[in-house]
Amino acid sequence: MNHVKLLFFATLRDRAGAKSIELDVPAELTVQGLKDKISDEYPNLRDSMSSVIITINREYAFDEAVIPLNAELAMFPPVAGG
Amino acid sequence: MGSCPSLPRKFMEFPTIFSITEDEIDLNNLLAKITLSSTGAAAIFTGMVRGMTSRGDAHETEYLEYEAYVPMAEEKMKQVAEEIRARWPTVEGIAIVQRVGKLFPKTPTVLIACTAAHRDTGVFEAARYGIDRLKEIVPIWKKEVGPGGEFWVEGDYIPKAGE
Repeated sequence: MNHVKLLFFATLRDRAGAKSIELDVPAELTVQGLKDKISDEYPNLRDSMSSVIITINREYAFDEAVIPLNAELAMFPPVAGG
Repeated sequence: MGSCPSLPRKFMEFPTIFSITEDEIDLNNLLAKITLSSTGAAAIFTGMVRGMTSRGDAHETEYLEYEAYVPMAEEKMKQVAEEIRARWPTVEGIAIVQRVGKLFPKTPTVLIACTAAHRDTGVFEAARYGIDRLKEIVPIWKKEVGPGGEFWVEGDYIPKAGE
């Protein structure tokens, strides 16, 4: 198993009702696998998973990417700074 | 600062400032930090909270509440500065600052400033590129609060691999 931290921002945080969670995920889980797991376990976030942006250790990550050990993950909508 | 022989001399001399802050943006202080003895021009973009919007969906704004994924945002600001330097090697100093928290109309929220020896060196385009890229890849969000309620403003850019 792999113990990771998952941060939520903006709309994702509102829907999750938490700034971050810690969770155990299978070794070699991909970003797509993480989205599937979140959809299953957090119904409030299910609708967000099709358009969510995901980062691994503060870099943008895509569906095929494998989550490294003890990663810092984040989920958020498209950014809107300025 | 220790010596860093792997970096070109120029990069060590040219100041780059990037930060997420809850404090007021101090233009004069930032400008002083990115002005060298060889500097003769600065292009500065600043954005502020607009109280009355007429373009598109007309509405009034009471305030905006900004938040950022701070450590990643500062890393991505540094990346934007590196992209500016790669495209406009004549740019001398760069400052990229985003203010976060609850910000009311007329308040400056973001500042991008680039300096160069002369104004015809691409320094205007460099600052424009900086604000455009900040809005694409720097993880910052804002919630708009007004008479009609509150909603998150969402961008439309999906980062690509390597960004």
